Amino acid sequence: MTMFKLSRRSFVGAGLGTLGLAAFSPRLLAQDSKDVALQLSWLHSVQFGGSYIAKSKGYWSEAGLNVALNPGGPNAPVDPAVVTGQALIGISAADYASASVEQGAPFKIIGVAMQKNPFVIASLPENPINTPADLVGKKIGMALANTPVLQALCTINNVDINGIEIVPTQYDAAPLVANQVDCLLCWQTDLPVAMAIQGIESVTMLMADHGYAVHSQTYIATEDSLANRRADLVAMMAGEVRGWNDFRADPKAAAALTLEMYPDQGLDLPTQELQAERQVPLMFSELTDANGFGWFTDETVAQNVETLALLGRSVTPDLWDRSILEEVHG
Amino acid sequence: MTTRTAPFSPNALPTLFAACVLIALWQALASATADMFVFAGPLAVLGAIAEEGSLLLRSSGITLQSAAIGFFIGNVAAILLAGIALALPRLEQLVSGLALVFFCLPFVATGPILRVIFGVGDGPQITLAALATYYTTYLCLLVGLRATPGSWLDLVRSYGRGRLSELIHVRAMASLPYFIAGLQIGAPAAFLGAMVGEFTGAERGLGVLSIRAMRGLDVEMTWAIATTAAALSAAAFWLFGWLGRCLGAGPPPLLLASRQDGPSVGMTARTGSGLIYLILLILAVLGVWIGLIKGLNLSPFFAKGPQDVWAFLVSDPAAATNRAALFTAFWQTLSLTIPGYLVGLALGAGLAVLLVTQPRLASATLPIAIALRSIPIVTTAPLFVLALGRGAVGTITIVAVMIFFPTLAACLEGMRRTPRPVLDLFSTYAASPWQRLAHAQLPAMAPAFFASARMAVPSALLAATTAEWLATGTGMGSLMALTASTSNYNLLWSAIVVLAVTASLIYALVHILEQRVLHTFASEQLVQ
Repeated sequence: MTMFKLSRRSFVGAGLGTLGLAAFSPRLLAQDSKDVALQLSWLHSVQFGGSYIAKSKGYWSEAGLNVALNPGGPNAPVDPAVVTGQALIGISAADYASASVEQGAPFKIIGVAMQKNPFVIASLPENPINTPADLVGKKIGMALANTPVLQALCTINNVDINGIEIVPTQYDAAPLVANQVDCLLCWQTDLPVAMAIQGIESVTMLMADHGYAVHSQTYIATEDSLANRRADLVAMMAGEVRGWNDFRADPKAAAALTLEMYPDQGLDLPTQELQAERQVPLMFSELTDANGFGWFTDETVAQNVETLALLGRSVTPDLWDRSILEEVHG
Repeated sequence: MTTRTAPFSPNALPTLFAACVLIALWQALASATADMFVFAGPLAVLGAIAEEGSLLLRSSGITLQSAAIGFFIGNVAAILLAGIALALPRLEQLVSGLALVFFCLPFVATGPILRVIFGVGDGPQITLAALATYYTTYLCLLVGLRATPGSWLDLVRSYGRGRLSELIHVRAMASLPYFIAGLQIGAPAAFLGAMVGEFTGAERGLGVLSIRAMRGLDVEMTWAIATTAAALSAAAFWLFGWLGRCLGAGPPPLLLASRQDGPSVGMTARTGSGLIYLILLILAVLGVWIGLIKGLNLSPFFAKGPQDVWAFLVSDPAAATNRAALFTAFWQTLSLTIPGYLVGLALGAGLAVLLVTQPRLASATLPIAIALRSIPIVTTAPLFVLALGRGAVGTITIVAVMIFFPTLAACLEGMRRTPRPVLDLFSTYAASPWQRLAHAQLPAMAPAFFASARMAVPSALLAATTAEWLATGTGMGSLMALTASTSNYNLLWSAIVVLAVTASLIYALVHILEQRVLHTFASEQLVQ
């Protein structure tokens, strides 16, 4: 306990130090720290490690923001939280956001955390799926809701979807392990990781490598916020960028931090470390190396619009707004 | 026969034996399916509990707290509603109708809406726990408040006392055992409500842990969570039972109510008043619906009013397509719910009869039944489906398991209420157990059976949609969960309306059947 006890002198010193820092940060002097929320798309895990780093290292508090990281869940709404203003920014995906926009939500995508869509077809090595053509004649376990995803993959790769037997399953690797299905539609970073930790090797075919271009883990904000709360948005995204750059430099540290910040999530370190490691190649690419984390171009947006059309979503490139990122990286 | 054998009497030996058999079966099942990642045996579960003890303890505490607050609020609401219904008999139908409609709202759909309304915190968990509890208690109370001998009421009146004394001295006392039964049924439901609430985005709790464990292929942890939740629910069940025994439910009085043949009301007049009531109820529901949206100033992006649902289902150009999508899923759900519902009711009532005729079996089997029921459906649904297959059997089983236990508990309680003088009379004439059953105990059970058959309607739909949402990915459950990705809130609200209306209709159907039967067997329960 004595470890954390501050002497009066060091307390005063720390206080003065903070004040000194504040002098260089005009925003902090102008206003007290402002409460804003980031609505996550899932339960706490290293999936959002960059945000945890930004919070714990004070990248947001330096800019005068007190950011709450609101957890998601299997039945948690992200888009309404942003529409109603409960959260300034939400973590969504290009397909979800475009559906919301069709329903009248005034959204823009202001950054893209997952450059490559994390959807994979996972199978076991003795019966592997390496290319979309391998799917024909196989049983795939997936949520029926994801049928358009499979349909899009098939269309892009000229595979007849009627040749694939879809078995509706819950989102869990057990049906594959129990040989009820030949493969699963899941994320690169969850079920295959769970299987690996249980000692079951799996083969994954990343759909993004076969033409399925849908930005995932995208940052969404309302048009109203883009017009009236630009400074907050820039500060939020600047913190995210710094946090995720740190994440890339040391994914293991991010995993450890996740466990430290959220001890009641039932997370274990090896799983989180493996997940963090597998997440990095999806989030960073030549594009982000050249332009910075979260970046997107007219070209990647055009690819997205094309894939989204296959998913039955009619969107225009207007859905994406790079102005915040340009200020952050500029 | 001087002592009545109560099925709940503590009789350690058979219970212990049953527990041993159960655990042995469990272990055998786990060993046989070790490579399926479905079952974890008791040893593995004990290991997981020992290893993650403090985490489980903290998470249980969080969930238990939300469940307890919701349980309390729900029961207070139930008592208030029952009070209103009793004090203002004219309003009773309307109060019951409104209470029913809100109880029929599907969790899968209300969860995310509550989350948006409450924001971060435990608001949705508490609300869902309260919603899961209030109606069962309300119904039990209504049955209990009427289970009073007319002579006692006459006594109160002959002392010149009013309805209030009648309520406090007679009806409240008479309703106590039924109230306790309501609490017992409500406890696991509240826990389930709190866990489903956590699925809408919570920092911690058993629900959060269970999602993590299921996705992480951590079978030991999944079963450790299910075991912990079951133990907590079962403990609550025993606690309330014990409380009931402490408060001393004496031997039940002999109820001799005259058959209310009375001046028979014309069929047309009855249909007429029924129609007026229906219109009033619809108006009340619409009023509350619009009032909530306007009063809470909810965003039109996700809060849809009656006019939006009407447009979506009827007046919109795409209405036909919308209806087709909705009703395909609806029939899918209904075709699994109804068989599960009937099986569950038959099992519950059948087992109750068996237990009453074979009291020794009762003390052995009841703990198993309680344990089975107390395992929260959100953790068992995927496991059941994995074990029984994705076909109809899995979902039907889940529905049946969900409702068989409340039915069993209610029927047992009902049969225990068989008046002693009646049983003594049967003994005097050396009637066979079957005669006693058919002519005394079954009629005594009828009100409780029908009450639980009515309560089971929404529970059955809840179980079916939960299984579809978490496990099979078909039907209404999956359609409603889809909203998270499509933001099609018109569809979500329409689904809520269709499910609530269906539940209410089936409920009314059971109620009509009930009136016919009770007319003969327990006419004190009928108030016209």
